This record gives sequence, C-alpha cells and structure tokens, in this order.
Amino acid sequence: MRPPEHPTYEVVIGLEVHVHMRTESKLFSPAPVRYGEPPNHAVHPIDLGLPGVLPVLNRKAVELGIRAALATHCDVHHSSVFARKNYFYPDLPKGYQISQYEDPLATGGWIEIEVLPSAAGDDGYATRIGLTRIHIEEDAGKSIHDAVVAGADSSHVDLNRAGVPLLEIVSEPDLRSPAEAGAYLRTLQRLLRYAGVSDADMEKGQFRCDANLSLRRHGEPALGTRTELKNLNSFRFVEEALAAEVARQAGVLDAGGAIQQCTLSYDPDRHTTRVMRVKENADDYRYFPDPDLIALRIDDAQIDAVRRALPELPEAKRARWQAAYELSEYDAGQLAESRALADFFEAVVAALGGGARAAKTTANWIQRDVREALGERGVELDATKLEAGALAGLIALVESGRVTAQSARPLVSELIDHGGDPETLVRERGLEAVSDTGALEAAADAVLAAHPDVVEQVRAGEAKGLNFLMGQIMKRTQGKASPVAAREVLQRRLRGA
Amino acid sequence: MARIDRAEVERIAELARLELAPDEAERMAAELAAILGYVEQLDELDTDGIEPTFHALPLATPFRDDRAEPPLAPERALANAPDREGFAFVVPKVLDEDES
Amino acid sequence: MAAETALQLADALAAGRASAGELVETALARAEAARPLGAFVHLRADGARADAAASDARRARGASLGPLDGIPVAIKDLMVHEGEPCTCASRILEGFVAPYPGTAVARLQAAGAVIVGRTNMDEFAMGSSNEHSVYGPARNPWDPARTPGGSSGGSAAAVAAGVVPIAFGSDTGGSIRQPASLCGVVGLKPTYGRVSRYGLVAFASSLDQIGPFARTAADCALALEAVAGHDPADSTSLPEPAPRLRDALCGDVSGLVIGLPREFFAADGVEPAVLEHVREAIAELERAGAKTREVTLPHARYAIATYYLIATAEASSNLARYDGVRFGRRAEARTLGDMYRRTRSEGFGPEVKRRILLGTYVLSAGYYDAYYRKAMKVRTLLRRDYEQALSGCDLIAGPTTPELAFRLGEKTEDPLRMYLSDIYTVSANLAGIPGLSVPCGFSDGLPVGLQLLGRPLDEATLLRVADTYQRRSDWHTRAPDPATWTGADR
Ligand SMILES: [Mg+2]
Ligand SMILES: [Zn+2]
Repeated sequence: MRPPEHPTYEVVIGLEVHVHMRTESKLFSPAPVRYGEPPNHAVHPIDLGLPGVLPVLNRKAVELGIRAALATHCDVHHSSVFARKNYFYPDLPKGYQISQYEDPLATGGWIEIEVLPSAAGDDGYATRIGLTRIHIEEDAGKSIHDAVVAGADSSHVDLNRAGVPLLEIVSEPDLRSPAEAGAYLRTLQRLLRYAGVSDADMEKGQFRCDANLSLRRHGEPALGTRTELKNLNSFRFVEEALAAEVARQAGVLDAGGAIQQCTLSYDPDRHTTRVMRVKENADDYRYFPDPDLIALRIDDAQIDAVRRALPELPEAKRARWQAAYELSEYDAGQLAESRALADFFEAVVAALGGGARAAKTTANWIQRDVREALGERGVELDATKLEAGALAGLIALVESGRVTAQSARPLVSELIDHGGDPETLVRERGLEAVSDTGALEAAADAVLAAHPDVVEQVRAGEAKGLNFLMGQIMKRTQGKASPVAAREVLQRRLRGA
Repeated sequence: MARIDRAEVERIAELARLELAPDEAERMAAELAAILGYVEQLDELDTDGIEPTFHALPLATPFRDDRAEPPLAPERALANAPDREGFAFVVPKVLDEDES
Repeated sequence: MAAETALQLADALAAGRASAGELVETALARAEAARPLGAFVHLRADGARADAAASDARRARGASLGPLDGIPVAIKDLMVHEGEPCTCASRILEGFVAPYPGTAVARLQAAGAVIVGRTNMDEFAMGSSNEHSVYGPARNPWDPARTPGGSSGGSAAAVAAGVVPIAFGSDTGGSIRQPASLCGVVGLKPTYGRVSRYGLVAFASSLDQIGPFARTAADCALALEAVAGHDPADSTSLPEPAPRLRDALCGDVSGLVIGLPREFFAADGVEPAVLEHVREAIAELERAGAKTREVTLPHARYAIATYYLIATAEASSNLARYDGVRFGRRAEARTLGDMYRRTRSEGFGPEVKRRILLGTYVLSAGYYDAYYRKAMKVRTLLRRDYEQALSGCDLIAGPTTPELAFRLGEKTEDPLRMYLSDIYTVSANLAGIPGLSVPCGFSDGLPVGLQLLGRPLDEATLLRVADTYQRRSDWHTRAPDPATWTGADR
C-alpha cells in the first residue's frame, strides 16, 4: 500500500494544473494560437484590451473542456459563469482575467494513478485522486524580465499568449508523496492527450503546474499551514521541488517552528525552494460576473454528443487488451502509454487478421524490436517512416516461414528509417529462407565432416550436440535456412542415409 | 452596510492603482460616505430568493466557431505603444512588490 | 428657422438640388460658427470632404447607398472609428488612434453617412452636464451659460445648433435622453442589445447603449435603422435584424394606451414648469386618439441607488485597461507601481476617480453581496415593475428630467445631487427597455422634454408616438440664436 513519505509527518499535496486547449484561435478572439512567434505577432485588438473591444466565446474550447471533464469523471454543470478576476499586471491587458469562479464548468471528478515500485523497494500501487474542479479561463501574455533582453530597469511585454484558452484543473489535497504527484501529472497529461484536449507539451508552456503542500503529524486530522510552489516546469522538477519542500517544512516543524503561508519557487541547481512572496492578507480580486458575456448553458444533448465522440481512454484499452488478447498487464500498459503507439498496435493486429495470437506476436515485435530501434534513435513512433501495414507484412513473412525471425529483425530498423515494402526488401536482399534440399544437404555434409567428434556424441544419443550442428548449418547459410527443413536433412544424414 | 473612512479610501485607491493627495482622500471619503449613505435605502427591500439580473433580456449563449483570422499587423498592434523595443511593449522593471 | 432634417437633405440630394460636398462644407462652416459651444472635440474636415466626394461619385453612377448616403453625421468621442482618434474626453487616451473598426461607425459608413467630427462628452460618459471633459464643457445652444446635459452633451448641442441633422451618443443612465431634453432635440436610447457595443468604449457594459439624436423622430428612425441589428462580435447583441422603423411612422396613435407612472408625476423634486408641459403634451396625444391610464413603478425610487452601484462596479473593472502599457498617455516613473499610479491619477479626472473608487469598494472583499449582488436583485424588481406596467399599456410617458438646463458649475460640487438628475432615465437602462425624449415646450426659453418608454424591441411605437406629436407641434422647428454663442467660451 501507500508507504509514508516521512516518518513523523503525513505529506498533503494538492495540484493546480493549467493546460492550453488545442484550438486554432483564442478563447475570446479570432487571433491564431501560435508558438515561437516574434512578440505581438499573434494578437487581435481583443487580446490587446483596446478600448471598445468585446469577447465572444470559442465553441471548440467549451467542447474540449467538456471532454476533459468527462475523461476525469467530473460533473459538467448545465450553467457556468465567466467572471472577471481583477488585478494589475503588465501582461494582463484588460486589467482583469476572464475566468470562472463561483460557477465553474465542472466539479467533483477523479483519476486513477499508479505509483511504480520504488528503488527503495516499496512495491507499486494504484490509488484514486479526487478533482475539485475544472474551469475555463484565458491565459495572460508574457512579461520578459531578463535583463539581457529587456535591459536592467525595464521589462518587455509580449501578448501572443494572451487569450489562449486554458483549462485549470484543481485536485483535492489527496496526494501523499512527490511520487504520487509525479504519477498524477503523467496520468493527467496522458489522458488529456488521448482525449485530444491538449498537446500538453511542458516545454511550450501548454501544461503548467502549481502545487500546494502542507505537513501534519501522522494521525492528526487538521491540515497544516500550506505553502504554494509556483511554475514547476518539468515533471522531474515537480518531484524534486516537493521533496525539497517536505524537507524544509519538516526541518522547521522539528525545530518547533511554525510554517508561514507563502509562495515559493524551486532552484533546481541548489535543490532548494526559495520564498517568492509572503501572503499577509488574502488578495482582493473583486470577482464579478463578466457583463460582456452571457452565462454558459450546456444541455445534456451537448454533453452526450461530446461523450460519444470521446476516444477509448488508456485504462479501458488496457483492460480490453488483457481480456481479449491475453496480453500481460505490463505489455498492455506499455502499449497504451501513448495514443499513437496504441493505435499503431491495433492497426498491425487488425492487418494480421486480429485475434489473440496476432496480438501477442505483434506485442512481442513492438516491445522487443520496435521499442529498441526507437530507443536507439531517441524518437517517437509517429516521427518515423514505419507503417503499421509494413510491420504487419514483415510479421506475416516470418509467421509463414518465408523469412526467419533472425533475418527479419534487422529490417525493422530499415522500415523505421526509410519505410518501404517488406516483401520487396526481402527479395532484393535475398533473405528468403533456404529450403531447397540440395543446398541444405551440401551444408549438412560439410558440417558433419568438420565435426566428427560431435557426430559421435549425437549418434551416442546426446541431444545437445544436435543443436550445435544445427547452429553450424545456420552459420553456413547465413541464417537463411528454414529450421524445419534443415533439421530434417540433418537427421537423415546422421542416420547415414 | 459598512462605513468608509480615509484609511479605507486609501486601501481601495491602491487596489485601483490610484494615487490620492491626503486632502483628496479626505474629500473622496466624505463624498463616498454620502453616496453610500444614500444607497443604504436598498436595505429597506427584502430581496431573499430574488434572482439577480445580470442581463436585462434573456439570451442563448453566443459562440464563435474556432477559425483563426489573420492577426493584427504588428506595426498596428504597437502603433499606440507609449514605449516599445522591437516588437515588444516596454514597461518599467517589474519588481516582486508588483507581483499579482 | 431650424436647419434641414436628414430626410429633407436626402430628398435634395436625390433631386440633385444639393451635393454631399456642399453639405459637408455647410456642416464645417456651421461647426466653426458654433465653436464657442464646445460641441466638437475633433473635426474631420479632410476625411469628411473625401467621403462626400465619394458619395457624390456614387450618386453620379446611380449607385447611391440610400437616404443616408452623403448626409453629414457627428459621433460621440467614445465611438471607435478606424484610423481616427478616440479619447472619451479623457487625458488618459491622449493621442490614441483606433487601429480597428467599431461596428456602429462601420455601419454608418456602409450606409454612406459622412462623419464630420467627434463630439464632446463627460469623461468616459460619467456625468450629466458635460462639465467633466478634458476639453472643457460643451454649452447649451439655448443659453451658453448652461449645460447641454450629459454625458452626450456635444452630440445634443451639435444637433440643436444645426451643425448636423444627426449625431450619435451613448446612454448608460440617461446620457442621450437627458441632453436631448435639455437641448430641445429628439434622443433615442434603443433596447439594450439593439445596437452593437463592439467599438463603443465601455462605461457600464450591462447598461451602455448607442443611440441617435436628431431634430425629428423620423430622422431618428432613419439613423437607428442604419446601425441597429445583430452583430456576432457583441455577445450581448440581440439576434433580431435591423427593423424597418420608418414604415411605423403612420401619424396615427388612436387606440394606443399610454401608461402614466404615479411616481413620475409626484410633484416632489420636479420643476412645476416641466410637469406642466409634459401634461400638456400628453393631452395633445389624447386629442390625437391615444388613451391614458395610471400605472405604478413601486421600485422606481430605488433606481438611482441601484444604478450607481452597478454602473460604478462595472466601470471600475472596465477602466482598469487604462494602465499606460499598450496605448494612451503614460506618466514617467521608475517602477511599474509608480507608473500605474501616476498614469491613472494624472490621466483620469475627479469624477472618474470617484466612480472607480466607489465601484472598487462595492466589489471588494466582504461588500460584494451587500452592494453589487443586492443591486442586481433590486434590478430584477425594477425589471418586473416595467413588465407589469407595460402589460397594461403600450408605452409609458413622463418627464425626461426633473428640471431645465442648469447653470454650468451649479452642481459640480455636489456629486450626489448631480446623480439625482437621472432619476427618470436610469430605470430604462436597468430594465433594458427603449426610451426616447421629444421636445414638448419651452420654459424661460429653455427646452422641456417628454420621455417615452416602451417594451423591449418596440422602438417603433415610441417613434410613431413622437412623430405623431411632432406633426401636431412645432417645438422642433424653433432654433437657438447663434448670435448668443459668440464669446461664450471666453
Ligand atoms: Mg487559480
Ligand atoms: Zn488559473
């Protein structure tokens, strides 16, 4: 089960994730969503907050929000309200962010996470993490403080990101260790990608995480004072930062001190957390319903339509594959890791006519040869030339005995790098298995002549000698010998025929 | 309903990023107190169970299709900028105290 | 003798008795003569001449865009016109040039209207006297020592002075109807959502509405037809297409029932002369065949309090974008915090600051329910009052303002007293219904206005009644004496 993270204190973590939804245009303006553009090259007057502009809600963003809510078992509300969160900051053009406050899009969901066995020897386990709410809001622009770019006493403002549609996904304080936080984020990222809600690329800022952490003595019902860790921009940093903060807070408490509510940032070089700002009194954002927008009403028909369009999610795939294909939990889990890999696997199986046998063979080829080749190249499957049809063709050639597995395997790399038709490759490279008896008898005679001693042992009934002789035949035929035919010839010769 | 004094006016002014001279703050406090005194007449009304009206006339939620239009030409986006460098708006250095 | 109406000019253009070029020169010359009134903050001489030439060229090709093609029109300085300045009479928008087209102005241009200039107003439409303007006050053409009303004082004065036959303003709590009343012209606040707010610089988003000024109801109908109708760029825009309002001007009101709210005719706080003329106008409509009956608006007395809570709350947020970062006037400062504070403190006038502070206060932690939410609920009660009243009559009539045009400076020291001059107008904005003010007499040489309020989307009935009244009265044919204007601003 869940091992305690700290001997004295229970660790209590809640995560707030912001994800960019996958839309062409912004949440309230028709400006394109673009990354890596020069500053202010992807803005509309609405994103600049010019006098007189008004927002109009992007339908697709709402649909993706509903998808995310359904994928995480949340209740989608029939009416939700966009509110203004008022504060001043240079990258917040209107002086307020359009967000959802009292009436969010959805509430009360959960996701199942799996914590893998730890190096420390704890065994892995699965647990459910509650979701408090999911709401839709607009992203702010970027302020560049870097003195090299902006100079010592000024900052630059780029509003390309202003208005990009965001989902804010808030978890319950259900996480009990940095490892669980990491697992939660990976699961959430996979879910959102599967459901087509977001590309969730952390480097691009499409998947951002803030964490709340507090400690309390084991068995203590009341929650301790929490601190907030901001802009943790990689999964590794999240876990490191949380571990560092657990250590810091435990140190303070052990010394009889009290935790001060504050916002911290993580310094990955020093592996420590640093206080950014202390909250004396709560911020006063003066939320109120945005009078420029009408309440967002969603009826059951719309929700059902989105549900029907929802793709099969990883958990469901794994379960189905284990049941129908008798795949191991491990293989099923690995193959369901990304939607691209899962779809590829199913396409190959289908091309081989489906069924458990085809599935298992395919799983072996992907887990063994494809993964290895991808690993060597450090690329994702969908970035290669490998077609499902091609891999299926290659597997079929091996299964039918026309190519030996041994000579087929190098072709996987060939197909990954250059693509092509396995049938043709096999012919061009002359990799067809040799089953013509003449050639095999010649090879067998040569081998027997070369190893009279082994021949003696075999005739005396030592089976392992036979395998050695087979291996020798394979050598002479560069692995092209059909194993069945070769064994037949060899045994005939040994009988002296 | 609450009273409003000069200290409260100064707290509000900071929220609104307004800078008031001491005498200005005094005067505003008096004027706001008078107006708030006037609006206290609303306390006479029992509004329990009354739905608030955010829009006078009921409307279905209006949507925009997710189609991108060409963005504003950068030169036009920056044409009104009080201060710019390249294509970026320039502001005085953001300090932690400015963090929101 | 009053200047020509837009429809008269349209006939002259159609008949070749006038050219758009001539009309622009006339408007510019009259604007020059009316300069002491401070009605305009920006004249668009070259642009207007070019537009007029294009209009004449269209007409020569037989490709006229309709009755507004070539008609000189003025717009309030908070309506966005692509490529033109837009300052809302505020220092904080000094030098701002709009890089995008606002819907209302774009529709006017599509109808061929020639925009000659931008009119004076209270800063960000916050005021009832046009005294809160960085350009100085606009003045009442009937007595330049007095206010034209506000916040759309410049538009009302420009029409009353005969500079243009049609001007546009915006009405958040009476900012079209009150100046129309004080300047002796017709002013129409359409149903909320009738005219797109895209390109209307926001004061209070849930109350703001663009509408026309003209000397006749018929011209107002023509003007509203051009700008009304659904706009997908405004989420609060009503789905209905632009109505054919001129068809409703049949000159017949027989059988119409006019509701007279007891609360609007209670003597307290309203000048007797005003009530007298209003009663007389209603009697004239009865002679024309209309019926009257008393109605009641029990929550009308709470309208001002409700209005100032809602309007200032929304304004405090709407005006946060004026921060000196992307546009407008920036005060120099070394830190960001100082830049914000100085830019906004130097850029906004006292009335705007007062309302931003009030609005920030009513939204701030702990007060939201007591003030903003409470006001939104009272708004519901007010809306029901009007639904109830208008279920028993076709329209409501009463005074537009409790008093005649007051002297400049008379109320600037007492904001609350200034707010109370909106007593009869604010509830139409809270209820979202259309309202119109039509001249119904003069007292001591100052105009009096009759206010008509109608059911949602029923501007037609208001225009039909006002048009009928104007066919039977001649107040709108009187004109102020330009001789009294000279030196008024010195
Ligand atoms: Mg948040
Ligand atoms: Zn957020």
